[in-house]
Amino acid sequence: MSETPSSTPSSGDAFDLSQFYQVFFEEAGENLERMEQQLLAVDLASADDEVLNSIFRCAHSVKGGAATFGFSDVAELTHHMETLLDKLRRHELEPTPSMVEVLLQSGDALKAQLARHQAGGAGDSIDTSALQRDIAALSSGKPAPARSAPVVATHAAPAAAAAEPATRQLEMRIGPLDDLAPADNLVEMFSEIAGLGSIEPLDGGQAADGMRRFKIVTTSSDDDLLDLFTFHVSREKVLLTPLGPGYGFHSGSPGAPAEAEPEVDASFGFFENAPGAPGTAPAVTAVVVAPAPGSRAAATGSRPAAPATAEAATLRVSVERIDQLINLVGELVITQAMLAETSAKLDPALYQRMAVGLADLNRNTRSLQESVMSIRMIPMSMVFSRFPRMLRDLASKLGKKVEFVTEGEATELDKGLVEKITDPLTHLVRNSCDHGIELPAERAARGKVEAGTITLAAAHQGGSILIEVRDDGKGLSRPKLLAKARERGIDAPDSMTDAEVWNLILAPGFSTAEVVTDVSGRGVGMDVVKKNITALGGTVEIESAEGCGMVVRVRLPLTLAIMDGMSIAVGCECYILPLSSVVESFQIRHDTVKTIGGSGRVVHVRGEYMPVVALDEVFGVPRFGDTNDNAVVVVVEAEGQRAALLVDALLGQQQVVVKNLESNYRRVAGVAGATIMGNGHVALILDVGALARRARH
Amino acid sequence: MHSILAVDDSASMRQMVSFTLRNAGFDVVEAVDGEDAFDKARQRPFDLVLTDQNMPRLDGISLTRRLRETDNFKTTPILILTTESSEQMKQAGRSAGATGWLVKPFNPAKLIEVIRKVVR
Repeated sequence: MSETPSSTPSSGDAFDLSQFYQVFFEEAGENLERMEQQLLAVDLASADDEVLNSIFRCAHSVKGGAATFGFSDVAELTHHMETLLDKLRRHELEPTPSMVEVLLQSGDALKAQLARHQAGGAGDSIDTSALQRDIAALSSGKPAPARSAPVVATHAAPAAAAAEPATRQLEMRIGPLDDLAPADNLVEMFSEIAGLGSIEPLDGGQAADGMRRFKIVTTSSDDDLLDLFTFHVSREKVLLTPLGPGYGFHSGSPGAPAEAEPEVDASFGFFENAPGAPGTAPAVTAVVVAPAPGSRAAATGSRPAAPATAEAATLRVSVERIDQLINLVGELVITQAMLAETSAKLDPALYQRMAVGLADLNRNTRSLQESVMSIRMIPMSMVFSRFPRMLRDLASKLGKKVEFVTEGEATELDKGLVEKITDPLTHLVRNSCDHGIELPAERAARGKVEAGTITLAAAHQGGSILIEVRDDGKGLSRPKLLAKARERGIDAPDSMTDAEVWNLILAPGFSTAEVVTDVSGRGVGMDVVKKNITALGGTVEIESAEGCGMVVRVRLPLTLAIMDGMSIAVGCECYILPLSSVVESFQIRHDTVKTIGGSGRVVHVRGEYMPVVALDEVFGVPRFGDTNDNAVVVVVEAEGQRAALLVDALLGQQQVVVKNLESNYRRVAGVAGATIMGNGHVALILDVGALARRARH
Repeated sequence: MHSILAVDDSASMRQMVSFTLRNAGFDVVEAVDGEDAFDKARQRPFDLVLTDQNMPRLDGISLTRRLRETDNFKTTPILILTTESSEQMKQAGRSAGATGWLVKPFNPAKLIEVIRKVVR
């Protein structure tokens, strides 16, 4: 179809439509997303009118925009979908699973078409003729033909149903053609058949893009015309659309123009005697030509109220702008902290007014920071919404029955995190379906319901967000995991706790599936999931009961940009520990630290021995004395392991703006990032997980 | 300057219609659906209402019917912009009291031309 949107009849002279493209693409994307969700949720046995209407409206909206902005391939496919959906909402047809399937596939095709247009129309166009045939067949009440079936005349042309004997004006587009001769033959044939009507070339008969356009005036139905044309051009290459100037006034209606419309105009009209219509009745306009696409009747009553879109109250802003805002606020927080520190040295009696001002500044900075951070927060439903479709496809591929349940969809999370958590979550959900949920027969044999349930839940917990992927499948098997670990040469004594055994599946190259499927891979998954989540400052925990299912718990910080930290001193250096990982801190006597096995050191805390990490040694920073007298220990916990960090002093707690060290310097082992302190100095944020691991080995 | 109430649930269509109308020197107020349009129409009169037909909450024809029952809109031109150009659709528009109709996709020049026929 036409590659240059500006060449469509809808664009005016010197009128640049491209400025609206972005809005259209976003809007179309949202509509397709909504349509997919509703298609997946639709109850075929007793489909809700409101839902059917809403699905129809999604397709309708995309079609309208696509036609306006000249994306004819999108408009064409949505037109077919709309025809089918219209029949569904009128209950002329009852929804079937194959309809849902074809509509879902069409949605995918539309997304691909839109993506192509968004990229400037580069690359091959997406062939949707098979889909269009299927939809047309379903619209005409037939089952969708098998894809491999030869093209038969099941093509229900847009206006086929309403074959009124009235004279109609049509625009016929033929192409793309390599050789324009068939089009010329067709014109010849058309002129030779008496009573068929007239045909004349549009756009001067010239076509650089292999398309030919004609204006046809005829009384024949689209089907008859298409049947006739197949002698020369295949059906898929012919597109018939009603032609006309596109407006009309109703004679006598209020506000309609006074003079009669001299030209035959099928694209607008005024009603006679209607309020606002022009004074004298137009002679022809309102009566002439009513090219009805399909046998559609107008809905005259007000339809059931659908949930209103929230777009009126929202504003689209690019992510970069928000990120820039967040960065600036981060700088402001630092500056404010610096001012607060400097002013603390001043005499409050002498500088009282300044102190008051600074206190206000402090408060306002915090509120500003919170407001700005909340802009980036988006609900988890944005992530969850992709799973029903994926699970549906996956379950049918694996021959399993799966029900998908979500909890806490409204839980909000930083957009940056949402983007990064999507892939790991996808993997976990796939794993649950592939490895966790048993086949229906197996479930029945175990006395479970045939359909397994996968639950995706999100909730806020303190300063972090907790996401759980739960399934009621077969769970993990301790003996199998231990055997497998040993097979792989992993040290796995029988004394390992359950939690440690479950954690084995997070180890690189460890796959629990007995048969490797093409779905959730070859065991390269779980360790990548773990790595990605750890990189986000999160943790993964597994809980399982054999035969009953398993839970994977992912805990993530709410945002990557700001965190609560505890500042500690080692020698002259200041480091930040994420407050969420700090368990406790206390002073120790030197004799409580014991050396074991030559170099390893442990500290005895309330009956438990914990590995000691001396930060001065890790970072090569000289401490103020070389004894452990007066040393402070901070117990941290990460990845289910505890470690005691040996430091010189605790300096305080504060919010810090996390700066990426990798992008500003390079990756440093044991360091998660950096921040700028109130005094303007840079402090490193410690990677507690890495330090705890280091202590273990 | 003439004022127009432009009603469409699609943001891109709304923007394009408004842009076209503003370029032609009209004062445009946008509404996202029939209900929103009706709320806005109750607050002030307009010289013309240009509305989409298929919208959530309240469609164009129902909006037209409601507006005709409102004092300020007894004679105001109301144009329905629609992809459905069937005779039934037009009759429904007529009986609701619409002044005229215009098919989507529209040509910006044509839109202005049609509007100038009823707003001068």
